[in-house]
Amino acid sequence: MNKGKKPDELIIANKKLLFQYGEKRKRAAELVIANKELIFQNKEKAKRAAELVIANKELIFQNKEKAKRAAELIAANKELIFQNKEKAKRAAELIVANKELIFQNKEKAKRAAELIVANKKLIFQNKEKAKRAAELIVANKELIFQNKEKAKRAVELIVANKKLIFQNEEKAKRAAELTIANKELIFQNKEKAKRAAELTIANKELAFQNTEKGKRAAELIIANKELLFQNREKEKRAVELSIANKELKIAGEKIRESERIYKTIASSIPGSMICLLDRDYRYLLMEGDMLEKLGYSKEIFLGNKAKDVWSPELYIQGLEDFKRVFNGEVFTTEDDLGEHHTITKFVPLKDENDKVYSCMVVVIDVTELKKAERQIAELNIGLEHKIVERTAQLQAVNKELESFSYSVSHDLRAPLRAINGFTQILVEDYQEKLDEEARDVLSVIIDNSKKMGLLIDNLLEFSRIGKQGISVMNVGMKELADSVVAELKQEYPNTEHQVNVKMLENIKGDKNMLKQVLINLISNALKYSGKKKEAMIEIGSYKKDNHYIYYIKDNGVGFDMLYYDKLFGVFQRLHSTDEFEGTGVGLAIVQRIITKHGGKVWAEGKVNEGACFYFSLPIFKSISPQADKNN
Amino acid sequence: METANIEILLVEDNQSDAKLTIRTLKKHHLANNLIHLSDGAQALDFIFGKGEYEGRDITNKPNVIFLDIKMPKVNGLEVLRTIKNDERTKSIPVVMMTSSKEEQDIVESQKLGANSYVVKPVGFDNFSKAVAELGYYWLVVNSNPSQYLRS
Repeated sequence: MNKGKKPDELIIANKKLLFQYGEKRKRAAELVIANKELIFQNKEKAKRAAELVIANKELIFQNKEKAKRAAELIAANKELIFQNKEKAKRAAELIVANKELIFQNKEKAKRAAELIVANKKLIFQNKEKAKRAAELIVANKELIFQNKEKAKRAVELIVANKKLIFQNEEKAKRAAELTIANKELIFQNKEKAKRAAELTIANKELAFQNTEKGKRAAELIIANKELLFQNREKEKRAVELSIANKELKIAGEKIRESERIYKTIASSIPGSMICLLDRDYRYLLMEGDMLEKLGYSKEIFLGNKAKDVWSPELYIQGLEDFKRVFNGEVFTTEDDLGEHHTITKFVPLKDENDKVYSCMVVVIDVTELKKAERQIAELNIGLEHKIVERTAQLQAVNKELESFSYSVSHDLRAPLRAINGFTQILVEDYQEKLDEEARDVLSVIIDNSKKMGLLIDNLLEFSRIGKQGISVMNVGMKELADSVVAELKQEYPNTEHQVNVKMLENIKGDKNMLKQVLINLISNALKYSGKKKEAMIEIGSYKKDNHYIYYIKDNGVGFDMLYYDKLFGVFQRLHSTDEFEGTGVGLAIVQRIITKHGGKVWAEGKVNEGACFYFSLPIFKSISPQADKNN
Repeated sequence: METANIEILLVEDNQSDAKLTIRTLKKHHLANNLIHLSDGAQALDFIFGKGEYEGRDITNKPNVIFLDIKMPKVNGLEVLRTIKNDERTKSIPVVMMTSSKEEQDIVESQKLGANSYVVKPVGFDNFSKAVAELGYYWLVVNSNPSQYLRS
């Protein structure tokens, strides 16, 4: 700073300096920033440089690689060049070979030409040879002649030779024989030596064998003892076996015997078949005419197993049955075998231990039976139809009869009542005007109309019992008979009767109906014995074959057994009304009631000696509606 | 038209039976006021005031009806059923008369409410006895219907 300067200038200079200082500070700050920037840039550059170094290294590596690759390429080029050269060489060689071939071809062509020439030469030479051959044939003939001469000479020489040879041979033979004899002697000596050696060995062998024999003999003695023991055992066993055999024989005979029986049974029952199978389902026996009917022969079966006889399906069916039998079951099956309907019974045959050893199959032809059964069933159906028809008809007839009997009871009685009533009026109101005879006639009219009324009443009673059902209860027969006798005695007050009612069995039945029976029978007894001086009546009962039998016996007029069949008929009488009154319905009613109870009525009689009427009633039989139908 | 009180109504198609019955009743002085009709249809007309009896005072009821069972057209059982099913007439005593002992008739009559039943016997003496007894019983002994109803 300049000290001479004015203060204003100084101030200005200061201000300038200040300003410059501020600028410098600013600049320094900027520089600092710029430095920092540079440092950052330097760092960046250093980084970049480092990266470049790495990139360089990379490049160098790549260059090296490229150089290597170039070297390899050069080597490859060299190789290629070498190969090219080789190919060029080969091509050159091929050219040479081609030239050679061309040359050879030319040579061959030349040679062919030469051959043609040679051929021509040969043809010429052949011709020459033929000429020569002809000359040779001539020469040969000359030679043959010369040869024949030589042969003759040779034969002579041969004969001479042979003589010499024979002599030589004899000498040689002799020498050979001597040689052989010598050899023989040497051989025999050798043999003797060998034999001596062998004998020595044989001796040793014998000594060894003797020792062995001694040992063997001892063993044999032991073996013999053993055999002896075994033989005894065998004998024992043989005895046992013979016993067993006898038993088997007996058992076999038994089996054969039973087989014979089965066979006899089967062959004697027409339409049947018996077979026996063992536990392997093998047919042991097959017999009976059914076999033929079914189209089999027994040879198919006998000794064969069921499995081999039947088709697999049939065998499986049969197997079920056989198994059941061998389980001890007895059963029966029904089959349709073609036209034959059969019943087959399967029976297990067991031994003493209850083990099934055989299966017996019995087949019986029931075709006819079945046919008959069907016919019966058909007939039954027909019959049932008929029964229904008949029942309907009978029911219709019954209804008709009912309305008929209803009409009878009403319409027949009405006119009778009028006849009786008006006659009675005549008798009552005109008594004075009528004489004795007229009054008699009127009383006859009255009696007859009454009797006809009684007839109608009895007839209706008879038909009513037929229709009536019975109501069963316990009936004390003794009490019932006693009361009936007491009632009836009043109706016959003028006769001296001795009536003996014994103990009577009680029975089950319809009380009212049984009372009617007793009334009818006892009143008959009273009536028909009424003319006897000592009239005796006995009433009793006894048991016979599930029935109680009741009887009413009298010593009255009796009846002739000749007319017995008329006794129980409706309106049938064995006596005239003059002798004994009655309508002829009483016994018919008795028979109807007893039959309804399932019992029977019968009688014994002798003229002038009396009669006995019996009726039986079942003891414990409950009375069913069927008893009704018997009427 | 009768005005007197009817004692007996006899319904009977058989004229002989009717005559015999009437005679018997008369003999016993029981037929003073008796009306006889010949069939069931006529009887119903009379009782209920219909047909030829149109306008009859039906409160004038008979003391007893003698009713035959077997008649043409409407039979005795049908007449009985109609009478016993009607409140106005059910108290009238009815005696059924028949020729037979046919059980079905007896059972049916009892079911329908008949008060008595008589089988007409062939013998006139028995017949007149039976009719007289019944007439006497229903007309004299048991003339009061209310008494009957209580019994």
